[in-house]
Amino acid sequence: MKFIIKSISKNSGRLGHLRIKESSELQTPLLLQTTKGGSIPYLSADVFGLVSREQQVLQLTLCTMDQMAESLDQWNRSLGDYVGYPDYNTLLLLRDPCEVTPSGGNDRDVVPLFTRRGKESLTAERYMQLVTSFAPDVYQGLCDADTNPESTKKRVQKSVDRTERFMQHCFKQHRELERLKDSTLLAPIVGGYNTFARTQSIKHAREQPKGTYGGYIFEGFHTNGIAATSLNPSQLLPIVDHCVQQIEDELPRLMPGAFTPVLMLELIRLGVDIFDTSYAYCAAVNYKALTFSYCIDKEEHSAFLDVTDEAIKEQFTPLLEGCNCLACQKHTRAYIHHLYKTNELLGPILLMIHNLHHYMGFFDVIRDSISADQLPALLDYVRHQNMSTDINYCIEPNNKTVGKAAMGKGFITAAN
Amino acid sequence: LPPLTYKVVAECSVSKARAGLMTLRHSEVRTPVFMPVGTQGTMKGVLPDQLIELDCQILLGNTYHLGLRPGIETLKKAGGLHKFMSWPRAILTDSGGFQMVSLLQLAEIDEHGVNFRSPFDNSECMLTPEHSIQIQNAIGADIMMQLDDVVKTTTTGPRVEEAMERTIRWVDRCIKAHARDDEQSLFPIVQGGLEIPLRERCVSALMEKQVRGFAVGGLSGGESKHDFWRMVHVCTDHLPRDKPRYLMGVGFAADLVVCVALGIDMFDCVFPTRTARFGCALVDSGQMNLKHQKYKHDMEPIDKQCNCNTCKRYTRSYLHHIATNESVSCSLLSVHNVAYQLRLMRSMREAVLVDAFPQFVKDFMARHFGSDPIPSWIREALSAVNIELPPDASEDQAVNS
Ligand SMILES: [Zn+2]
Ligand SMILES: [Zn+2]
Repeated sequence: MKFIIKSISKNSGRLGHLRIKESSELQTPLLLQTTKGGSIPYLSADVFGLVSREQQVLQLTLCTMDQMAESLDQWNRSLGDYVGYPDYNTLLLLRDPCEVTPSGGNDRDVVPLFTRRGKESLTAERYMQLVTSFAPDVYQGLCDADTNPESTKKRVQKSVDRTERFMQHCFKQHRELERLKDSTLLAPIVGGYNTFARTQSIKHAREQPKGTYGGYIFEGFHTNGIAATSLNPSQLLPIVDHCVQQIEDELPRLMPGAFTPVLMLELIRLGVDIFDTSYAYCAAVNYKALTFSYCIDKEEHSAFLDVTDEAIKEQFTPLLEGCNCLACQKHTRAYIHHLYKTNELLGPILLMIHNLHHYMGFFDVIRDSISADQLPALLDYVRHQNMSTDINYCIEPNNKTVGKAAMGKGFITAAN
Repeated sequence: LPPLTYKVVAECSVSKARAGLMTLRHSEVRTPVFMPVGTQGTMKGVLPDQLIELDCQILLGNTYHLGLRPGIETLKKAGGLHKFMSWPRAILTDSGGFQMVSLLQLAEIDEHGVNFRSPFDNSECMLTPEHSIQIQNAIGADIMMQLDDVVKTTTTGPRVEEAMERTIRWVDRCIKAHARDDEQSLFPIVQGGLEIPLRERCVSALMEKQVRGFAVGGLSGGESKHDFWRMVHVCTDHLPRDKPRYLMGVGFAADLVVCVALGIDMFDCVFPTRTARFGCALVDSGQMNLKHQKYKHDMEPIDKQCNCNTCKRYTRSYLHHIATNESVSCSLLSVHNVAYQLRLMRSMREAVLVDAFPQFVKDFMARHFGSDPIPSWIREALSAVNIELPPDASEDQAVNS
């Protein structure tokens, strides 16, 4: 993996080029496509091809794919090819940023992996074995990331110490394993919200000889799922800034999680380079279409359209006026509301199509803004959407169940 | 131009199979045709564009479900189901009666219509022939079905005859209520249980009505296959040659092949998409349950001959891992299964066009049953239309020993 910085601006973040193996040049800030079981959630590869024709990087997660390891041992083509995307590069994470990771299970020598079939305890040896089976283009080092803003100092220290131990093994194996010689390792930085612990964690990585790893992954700020949408920026940003200050400019920094658009812009401004689409997914599964605007105008915009809202039952207009995604070009709010009510699979498919399209467009605009040194203006615009107060981008769980009341009465005639 | 024209393009010189061209307002339909079921205005996890790519020419919608949600007011405002679901090609709707009787408790039929308890407030309600047509007019499907008097296929005695007679009476009420005859075509439904004379009487009574096609109903509900094929056979013997024939609810591959041989043109079935949800893929030899451990490391596509997007990109091994776990597997298997059904129908049509249908049937049955014996009902049905299958290997042995 090769990373070249194109520009760094004090207020506008940084632009870069990333080349993974023989991929085309990817622009940073980069949006990874989050997946479940290797697939972009709800979308088959040919349907995702209708969303984007550009080469993407898949963010695969071990907790949703570990059962495939044995099969992958017998697979002689690329990991991307196995999951239906032969042209895409792959990046393997331990945890799924789309779902809350349960806490606990971090014993002395193991990291818990919460899979569909239950909890598996991963030693560093086992982890590197699995990575070898997957042979991803990029993968993260094993770490204890079970920390959040509430974690005690002791818990945070443990995460740093354990991670150091795990990584000694990972670094060594990474250098030695033949099957991983074309893969890039990302060094995990942990330490919760504690500057001292973060400094230690960074020091542990930087003690390695240059070239051992090809980038950083910032972990331990949240435990995934929609909780990431309600992180407190004033708590998070100083500590991320602290980390960024202590690592070299030349390596890319990944921060997985469903951050709000505003928080993501703040993180980009601080110099984080790589994110994922879990926010778009979390919105879709909670029946929300993303409607915030990133093309500066004078109109007011809301963060979401809630497709469970009765008010759109007969709105024969697109989810978002002016959007040129397939869902908006061909289907109406009324139809998608109907799909929600009938619990049909096409509902989340269309929401994912729109939300991914919208979020990828957002990243195009972010890169343009950085190159024009206009990121602060974009941030301010996204934060307010021309409203008098800050927009609430937090995603609330939507546990609505469709009851009998949702059924139309137009059908029925009373017996006479 | 009438909203439905049908012409026979070719006929098998041996069996009753035929290839036809049905021209509807939204699309041309090449028969024999399989219609995937899009119950609620969507085909399980598959986009309209994907169905078009698979060359799906006509979809089925369920009046009972669409009448409940989104409801006829919304459908009217949307400008009909085609616009509501963004499906530019043809649609066929059922009458709603069958779904009520099979899904609702306390559904009872009398001369007025189907009485039932409302699923949302438990009040007593009724679906009349007139009302079914009103809803179907709002849905706006190219082909609609009359409300018929549905009895279980296993019912015997005077109730079967009563249902048949009532179905004939209800056709007239449906025709009278039909407000869009210049856009939509109403098919009557041949009833008569498992009794040949009743089926014959029903066909001849329905042939007096001004209709553009016929449906054969009351089958595929658990009756013996020996009865099943005889009823289809007697109906196609008497139905007019120049109008399309639709056999309701039939969709297993072997049944499709037999019934095309018996002269049926249109089919529908939920099976291809339902079985997809349980991780099953359709192949010539039957069903492939991808959850089976033997596919765990199988790096072949479901079917090498299949050119659907699922077979182009995914291995059995990957599908094994995601089937029933990731919802995308439902879309992937539905695409393959619908592609399978449509391809089967296309190959039958092509075989009829070059008058090679009997050979197609023999080859298909050999692939489908492999070393298993071919069921006797299939042999008998095909023999009734002059297609003689070679004896089973096991029969040979029986003869020899
Ligand atoms: Zn859109
Ligand atoms: Zn296929």
